[in-house]
Parts: sequence; C-alpha cells; structure tokens
Amino acid sequence: MRHLWRRGAAAAAGVAAMALAVTACSPAAENNSSSSNSGNTTVTVRLWDEQVQKAYDTSFKQFESENPGITVKTVLEPYSTYFDKLRTDVSGGNADDIFWVSSSYFAPYADNGNLMEIGSAFDAAKSGWVPAAVDQYTRNGKLWGVPQLTDGGIADYYNKDLVAKAGVDVSNLEWNPTDPSKDTFLKAAQKLTLDANGKTADDPAFDANNIVQYGFNASQDLQAIYYNFIGSNGGAFQDGEKFVFANDQSVQAFQYIVDLINKYHVAPSAADTNDNGDFLRDQFIQGKVALFQSGTYNLKNVADGAKFDWAVAPMPAGPKGRVSVVNNIIAAGNAKTAHQDATQKVLQWLGSKDGAEFIGAEGAAVPAVTDAQGPYEKFWQNKNIDVSQFAKAAEGTTISAPVGSNYGAAANAWKPIFNEIFLGRTPVKEGLKQAQDAANAAMGK
Amino acid sequence: MASKLARREAGIGYLLLAPSLFGILAFLVLPILVVIWLSLNSWDLLSPARYVGLDNFAHVFADRAFLRSLGVTLLFVLLVIPVQTALGLFAATLLSRGLPGSAFLRVIYVIPWICAPLALGVVWKWIFAPTGGALNAVLGANTAWLSDPVLALPAVAAVSIWSQVGYVTLFFMAGLAAVPDQLLDAARIDGANAWQTFWQVKLPLLRPTMFFVLVTGVISSFQAFDTIYALTPNGGPQGSTDVIATRIYAEAFQTFNLGRASVMALVLFAVLVLVTLAQQFYFRKRITYDLS
Repeated sequence: MRHLWRRGAAAAAGVAAMALAVTACSPAAENNSSSSNSGNTTVTVRLWDEQVQKAYDTSFKQFESENPGITVKTVLEPYSTYFDKLRTDVSGGNADDIFWVSSSYFAPYADNGNLMEIGSAFDAAKSGWVPAAVDQYTRNGKLWGVPQLTDGGIADYYNKDLVAKAGVDVSNLEWNPTDPSKDTFLKAAQKLTLDANGKTADDPAFDANNIVQYGFNASQDLQAIYYNFIGSNGGAFQDGEKFVFANDQSVQAFQYIVDLINKYHVAPSAADTNDNGDFLRDQFIQGKVALFQSGTYNLKNVADGAKFDWAVAPMPAGPKGRVSVVNNIIAAGNAKTAHQDATQKVLQWLGSKDGAEFIGAEGAAVPAVTDAQGPYEKFWQNKNIDVSQFAKAAEGTTISAPVGSNYGAAANAWKPIFNEIFLGRTPVKEGLKQAQDAANAAMGK
Repeated sequence: MASKLARREAGIGYLLLAPSLFGILAFLVLPILVVIWLSLNSWDLLSPARYVGLDNFAHVFADRAFLRSLGVTLLFVLLVIPVQTALGLFAATLLSRGLPGSAFLRVIYVIPWICAPLALGVVWKWIFAPTGGALNAVLGANTAWLSDPVLALPAVAAVSIWSQVGYVTLFFMAGLAAVPDQLLDAARIDGANAWQTFWQVKLPLLRPTMFFVLVTGVISSFQAFDTIYALTPNGGPQGSTDVIATRIYAEAFQTFNLGRASVMALVLFAVLVLVTLAQQFYFRKRITYDLS
C-alpha cells in the first residue's frame, strides 16, 4: 500500500489548506484586530494594473513616512478573473481594505452596502477630481470611491516604419459601413497587411493563410474596439441598464469589424484573440501589427516594449465622427474593514494631489486627480511622445461605458455568442439579437 | 465490570476517532448540508439569501446549457478513461520489465501528474495556439484547435490523458509487482506465451488495481475542471467543452446564482454515487483471488 501514501499526504495537505482557507474566511474584523492593538495597522489595496502597482508602492512609502503606524500593502490580481474573485472575497469577508472597481461592476457593491461612502470627510478634495469620474461613480446620490485613473479616450498607436513603408497617411482615416467610396480606413488597413510573399491584402494574389503583418487590431475588445465603432456609427450598446446592441447601427458596426477580420483579413483570426486580450498588444509590440487601437492603459506597455518608432494618431472617424468610450477607475473602501480610520486616511491620500502624482510620474496612467496630471504629461513630453490624442478623444463626443447591477452575469452571457460572431460562424445580426436577449435575461435575473 | 470496560473502550475509541471525525464533519458533511440548503435559496453572494423552495431545481432541469454539460461530461469521460487506462497499463507492462532507464522514465511519466493542472493548461494553451503555437509549427498547419467545436473536446481530453497517465502507470506497476512469481512460472511451464500470460494471468490478478484506477479515474474525470478551464474558458466553442464542473463554476462565480449552482453540484454528486455503485457492483464478485 505504499502507493497510497501520496494520496494520504495529498489529502492531509488538502485538509490543512482548507483549514487555512477557513481561518482566512473569518471576518476581517477578527484576524486584524490584533495588528491594530500592537500599534501598527496594515491597510491592503487590491488592483489589477501592474504598472500602477509600482507607482502605488512608491506613493505608499511616502504615505507611511507621513503616517507612522500605518503600513500599506498592494495586492495584484489579474484582470481576467478580478471581478469573479472580488465578489467571492467580498461575500466571504475576505476582501482587501481598499480595492479598485470599474464602472461596469461597482453597482451591486454600492447597492448592497459593501462600499464606504465617500462622504463629507472628502469634501475638500472632491473638487479636484475629474468631474466625469465623480459622475460615473455617483449612485443614489452618493459617491462610492476615490477616482484614481481616467482612461482618456481611445486612439491608434501606429508603427511608424510600417506605415511609412506602405505609404499610408493615418492622421485622418475614415471608415464607412455603407459607402465604400468614403472608406479610407479599410484601404489603409489593407495596404498595411502583408503575407509571406510581401503581397498586400488588397492584392488578388494575397495569401490569407500566410499573413506575417496585420494592418489593424480588430477583435472582440469592448473598450478599445467595438464600443467606439458603435459610437462612431451612431449606435448604442445600452439604454439605461437595458442592452440594445442589436440595433441597426450597432449591427453595421459589428459587421464592419467582423469583416475586417474574416473577409478582408487585415486582423488575425478571433481564434487568436477571443480568449487572449493581450495577443494583439503583444503582436504590435513585436512589430507585427501596424495600427493598434487602444487607450492610455497600454501607453506604458507600448513605450517599454516597442523597439521601433511609434506615434499616436486619432482613431478612424465613422459616419458620426469619432465617438470614444471614456472610462474611469476608482479605489473603493471596504465597508467592512476592521480599521475604518486608517483606510479613510489611505483613501484621502489616494485622492490628494501628493498621493496621486505618483501614478503619472512614471507615465503609468492618467490620474483622475486633475492637479496630479502634470507629472504624467511631463513624463511623456520628456520622452518626446505626443499623447494628446487620448485627451482629445475624451474631450470630443463620448459614449459612456456599460453599467448595471448585474453586469458581470450579462457579460458572461454574451461572451460565448460574441466569440462565435467574431469567429465568423454566427451571422452578426442574428448573433447580436441572441446575445442581447441572453444579456438582458442575465441582467434582470 | 465487563460492560464498564466495554464502555471505556468505546469511549477511548471515539476519542481516537475524534480528529478524523472532526475533519469529516467540518469538511465533508457540513459543506454538503450547506449545498443542500443553498439549493433551496436564491443567493448572489452580495444580497441576503432568499428561500425559493424547489425553483432552482425546476430551472436547472430545464436549463439547456446544463443538460448539454451532462452530455459533454459523459463524452469527456468516455474519451479519457479507456485511453488513459490502456496507455497506463501498456506503459506499466513495459516499465516493469526493469530495462535500463526505467526508473528515469517512471519519473518522467509522473511529472505531469504532480504539476499544477492550471499551469499545465496555460502551457498547453501556448502549444495549441493558432498563431505561433508549437503544434501548428510542427504540423505546418493553421488549425484553431481550441476554437473548433469538433476538435476542442478531444484536444482537452488529450491533455487530461497526458497528465494522468503516469499516475495510472504507477498503480499498475505496483499491481504487476505483486503478481506472485510462482504463478508466472507455472504459466511458463504450461507453455503460455507472453501474450497469454498477460491476458490470462496478470490481467485477472490486476483486478483490484483496475477497480481502484477506474473508480478514482472516473470520479476525477467527472469532476475535471482546472485544465479544461485554463484551455477553454467560457465553456469552449459553442459550449463543446462545457463540462459539469465548468458549468457549476460559471453559474456560481460568473453569473452568481449560487442556488442553481448548488443544484448542479448535487446532480453531479448523485451521478458519481450511482456510477461508483455500479462499478463496485460489477467488480464485487471478480475483485480478488485468494492466494494465501
């Protein structure tokens, strides 16, 4: 029976792990009170952005030196499972004292009393926060977090060498789903797509099975791609909390994106991108994609990774011009934290000019504290990179990010259907209708 | 006197049992009771749970995604178990000959089983990647292995088999080592060739091992989650890899219907009890040869 030993050991380890998990699940109030008594309180901050984590760590060192007795630790959770895990942790009393939330996901937490209200103690700082961010996170008349990042709008990073070689001007492209004569964007994307023989995608001899360079990052990317195409075509994704993305303008926008992938082959197959949101960013950084539409959240990644000359152009204008999605991120306080005072102090620090400046100092992201944006702009000026297109997109017409008390469930309902649409296996119109019904059903559960 | 002693002995017995009894109560019985309670409630993790009677059951049994997941799971088990068992037996037969290098190969075979399934899933995802993936590079193909509704499940099953085969091999090797030499000698004297010895002597004697390997293999295949989740999140193309465990996960932690997920978990539990009972019934009469 020697072979059973390992199972026995594994089982024992399993039980030990569960015991640990159970202890970890006990309310934060219990296991943290001792640390407060000993004179030192630890406040934990959960977020998903590695670049900002580095900035936070520097910022909190400063905070700790000004606030002896409080230690702040950052906890990184990958974005792909961030909101699944957060909900379980909040429910189990196991969430961090402060955690990031995005606009799409914050509603149920606010409604169920899981978040600290950003009340009168913050009044002095509030006026310094990006107004759009404050609006976005005000629900039932109360603000539910300290604005941290403002994403600016969406624009197109481009590889200067590839664009120059193709002889394309990307400074003012236009796409049009109904009138090909007005569509300069598709032609540019085709010129920027090459097969192994150096043929461009508009060449009849182009080999779609052997593409070595893609023109554009068309993919199932809500923030960077399809939301903006919908907006720029005069469509809508949501009406209040109801999903309406099967309307005619949105169908046209989706059809256009899907055609870029499956008909014109200027973007890689959705098989590469459906389950890997970073695939195209990595391909762009490797010099295999000419135009990469994204936001400021990828600025640092591109700047650090790209070994070629690049710049930022406005995104292509649709029939209704350039309509960009704008998003903001807040740091929310856990209502059930064991150390309210210390957590409030950290939140106040994050909402102050001094605290938020670190976010932009290394160019990681645009702070949502207006006065703290100076170092961010300076950082990129020093690098000789003009990042004004993102701000311009945010100042123009915008389409607001999705919201809802049950957004996560809705997104999971439409995801498998969108996968099929982008793979070209489900017709766009039919798929969107199906996905819309599924999303609304999940939302109104 | 005697009854006093008996009672005392019983008392000591219970005392000695207490630690493991606590484990079973806390980590097995209690969770099962909680799941049964949850199955009668509607709970989204944040707002308070609400008693809904048998609504969750009605909803789950009418849920096409769930019914499909039962079929997918069955197909997955049917793909994995025969291949994994046969390969394990084959490898064990070769390795137990004690040829040079066997010890080394034994370790190699077991490594995938020791590794974290989620990590293996990530590595295999790279191997299967349509662009820049190792498999397509070797084959010179352009196949979207994990996005094709026909190929996805066999691909996932192959990874599962690959990671389990070493474990099965170990058990069969132990079983083969326990086959008494005199029986093999007798068979040889009776003129049996290697093939006959294997089928008529070794295999019948391996039945207890076979029982164990099949029961644990079937149970773990029915519960398979991590590799599948890592390779094909969101249930795979058209739900083709959406086994019960990934369905339960989606229902509980992505849609936040803890009540309905609990019903699904109870169904899985019932299925496993039935399958295990059936296996036990089949092997009961045939399980041992008394060699004493």
